Amino acid sequence: MIPPLHHIKGYNLKLSGKPLPVLEDLPLPRQVAAVASRLRFVKPRLAVNVGDRVKVGSLLFADKRRPEVQFRSPGGGTVSAVNFGPRRRLQEVVVTLDVEEAYEEFPRVSDADLESIGRERLIELVIGGGLWPLIRELPFRDAARPETAPPAIFVYLDNLEPFHPLPRVYLDGRWDLLAFGLRVLDRLAGKPAVVTVCRENAEGLESLNGVVGQTVVGNYPAHDPGVLLYRTKTSSDQNHSWSVEGQDVLLIAELLQTGRFPTGRVVTLGGPAATQPRHLRTRLGAPLTALVAGRIAAGNVRQVAGGVFTGTPAPQDSHLGLFEKALVVLPEGNAPGDFLAWVLPGARTPSYSRTFLSSFRGRGEHPMDCNRHGGLRACIQCNFCPQVCPVDILPQLTYKAIRAGEVEEALAHGLLDCVECGLCSLVCPSKIDLLQALRDAREKFYEEMS
Amino acid sequence: MNPVKHVFDSQRHHFTKGGRFEKFYFVFENIESVFFAPAAVTSTGPHVRDSLDVKRFMFLVIAALLPHYAFGIFNVGYQSNLASGLPLDFWAMVWVGLKAVVPMVVVTYAVGYVWEALFATVRKHEISEGLFVTCALFPLTLPPTQPLWQVALGISFGIVIGKEIFGGTGRNFLNPALTGRAFLYFAYPAQTSGEAVWTLLAAGGTAAVDAFSGATPLAVAQATDSGSVVQAWADAGYSLAKLFFGLYPDAIGASCTFLCIVGALFLITVGVADYRIICGDILGFLAAATLLNLFASPTSSPYLGLNPFYHLMVGGAAFGIAYMTTDPVSAPAMPGARWVYGFMIGMLTVLIRVFNPAFPEGIGIVILFMNCFAPLLDEIQLTARLKKRIPNVQ
Repeated sequence: MIPPLHHIKGYNLKLSGKPLPVLEDLPLPRQVAAVASRLRFVKPRLAVNVGDRVKVGSLLFADKRRPEVQFRSPGGGTVSAVNFGPRRRLQEVVVTLDVEEAYEEFPRVSDADLESIGRERLIELVIGGGLWPLIRELPFRDAARPETAPPAIFVYLDNLEPFHPLPRVYLDGRWDLLAFGLRVLDRLAGKPAVVTVCRENAEGLESLNGVVGQTVVGNYPAHDPGVLLYRTKTSSDQNHSWSVEGQDVLLIAELLQTGRFPTGRVVTLGGPAATQPRHLRTRLGAPLTALVAGRIAAGNVRQVAGGVFTGTPAPQDSHLGLFEKALVVLPEGNAPGDFLAWVLPGARTPSYSRTFLSSFRGRGEHPMDCNRHGGLRACIQCNFCPQVCPVDILPQLTYKAIRAGEVEEALAHGLLDCVECGLCSLVCPSKIDLLQALRDAREKFYEEMS
Repeated sequence: MNPVKHVFDSQRHHFTKGGRFEKFYFVFENIESVFFAPAAVTSTGPHVRDSLDVKRFMFLVIAALLPHYAFGIFNVGYQSNLASGLPLDFWAMVWVGLKAVVPMVVVTYAVGYVWEALFATVRKHEISEGLFVTCALFPLTLPPTQPLWQVALGISFGIVIGKEIFGGTGRNFLNPALTGRAFLYFAYPAQTSGEAVWTLLAAGGTAAVDAFSGATPLAVAQATDSGSVVQAWADAGYSLAKLFFGLYPDAIGASCTFLCIVGALFLITVGVADYRIICGDILGFLAAATLLNLFASPTSSPYLGLNPFYHLMVGGAAFGIAYMTTDPVSAPAMPGARWVYGFMIGMLTVLIRVFNPAFPEGIGIVILFMNCFAPLLDEIQLTARLKKRIPNVQ
């Protein structure tokens, strides 16, 4: 195996509420949904109406831009609601489940077939099964373009962003499925997929031997395929590599093996407001209420679908989206701070910087909230953001270039290498939303290009 | 309920939309946020943010400066009583120092705050705490005899021309405290240079007692024609310990090298000051002074032969290194550029000290000069760095 790749930069947030590595099976929810509101780039075109009968795997909506980006029903039953947001943008399609769910039948691919099946046919099957969006193309992480062969496919088995499912939990008993899925990806790329796992999550997992191509060591976001690409690429031809998350490989494998749209998902519930942080086995598109019932603290709590850094606040009546494998619950923290807190030593105040006594007291987890902890100020060049940036961007200078309208300069700074990890925004003492500025600039550039 | 909180809650309606003092909301917000951090929350990811804000960042600099004020108050009184031939009673000296320093600090903060509040109100942004550091630094660089109206004028120039016209803290390219100091230097040389200004004489006194030398160590060094500088200092009554602890006539709180070392170490430890700049400064000083040592001969000025470490010990060198060069806004951003920036400041300061008879101390002017070059140094390193990136442009 290749020696581990060490990342010096990045930062591990010392957040409390880490999910235990135990898996609890949730009862079957009454309804599931396909979420469109938190999908990036996708312009959904609805394929069903309220009251329609759908099977597991029936088409619910597709992307107006690209027909291959389809979103299929994670449950069989009746479409009970189609929710629209502002400007009639589709939010989610809710399906009330039947007791006996019906399945759309897709062609199956056996182990033996996989040797002989053509790449085009394999792509057709994944697209037809509604799982093509899971294969994403760097640097923008939109659905991959099937017509081009990728320079590489990165499969990342774990995610260091607080808090995501551990491979030892979601892969338990499903190693064969992973192996099958990886063979599918090998066929898609025409070369072996690069499987990565972080060393701390690989310890004691014998089954990983022979699967993992690259172990990484380091702080968040060392797991990220964009970081791995940045650290290993030798030419700019590799910029458009593809990436798939470990659990999504299982979905693709299950679709092809069983000929049915997969519906199972292992997600985490974590964060300071979670009273029972743990892994939960539930349905794709499960309602958040089913996940949090009895497991979070009362009070003003924010539910973030996805991780602490990159996730999106989700309304309480919302559902987990196709890409979301974590639900983090945080106290809102919208109360004024303590009296004269800024002059206190801060023995329990978490900080990336060394300006509080807590930095000299060793490790420890802190129950952080969503308070911004300070007013907006101009950049004072404290240089914290370049210290944490995993892809060696100078976020404060890139931000200034963006604000000045110098897109070319921002690109030269490595705007497209940005993995949108959000560490720059986290550490900024001026509370500048660097992540949002960089992300907006990237999206704008992408939309102008395509 | 906290009584302070009650005051703010009961007065808030005057400052919010529709209130009598709606226009001064930013002043209200600023004063309130001194006591209670705002309740604002994140709206997008990352959903949690670091506990450090600019207020604490700047407060730590002020915390490092407080010992300089304590020292400055003592030293002003000490030098004053020495020069006036008064008994060296500790509390009497402190009282003299307080009477001189406190009004300057009050005037500086009052005038600086009014300017900042004015710009914040017009521009509708919050008051940035950089102001408080500027106002803490400025009086420490002044002679204790500076008239208060000049103090007001100097800080006004520093805040408005050095900072606000460029957009406020973070967008200035010059160190505002030094800009104000330089303005006074050039506008009112009679009150900012020479030998007399550095010592406050007791009321009614017009000249120092005979035994007292009002010349600063740097002026002594520059005036030395023969022998060695260290000998000249000894003749003027400046033992090396006195020089190290700053017990000589100088700007209010800038002379104590010992406190500057403590302050610099503190700021490096908490990560507010960049060690690269400080190390660069020191290397620059030592390199230039060592170079001059090589050219020293019996016929040249004895200043050329001065031990390089003494350059760091006298005058405003240590104060400038610890607090002025490390201002992150007016320094370069890139790590390599910061080394060069510091090194150049050290070199130029020594050269100005030794060769320019008009400036006994040059570090203030040199820092402003290098502030102007900071963007260029950044650009050079940035260009080199970006060339190494594998392009990622579609």
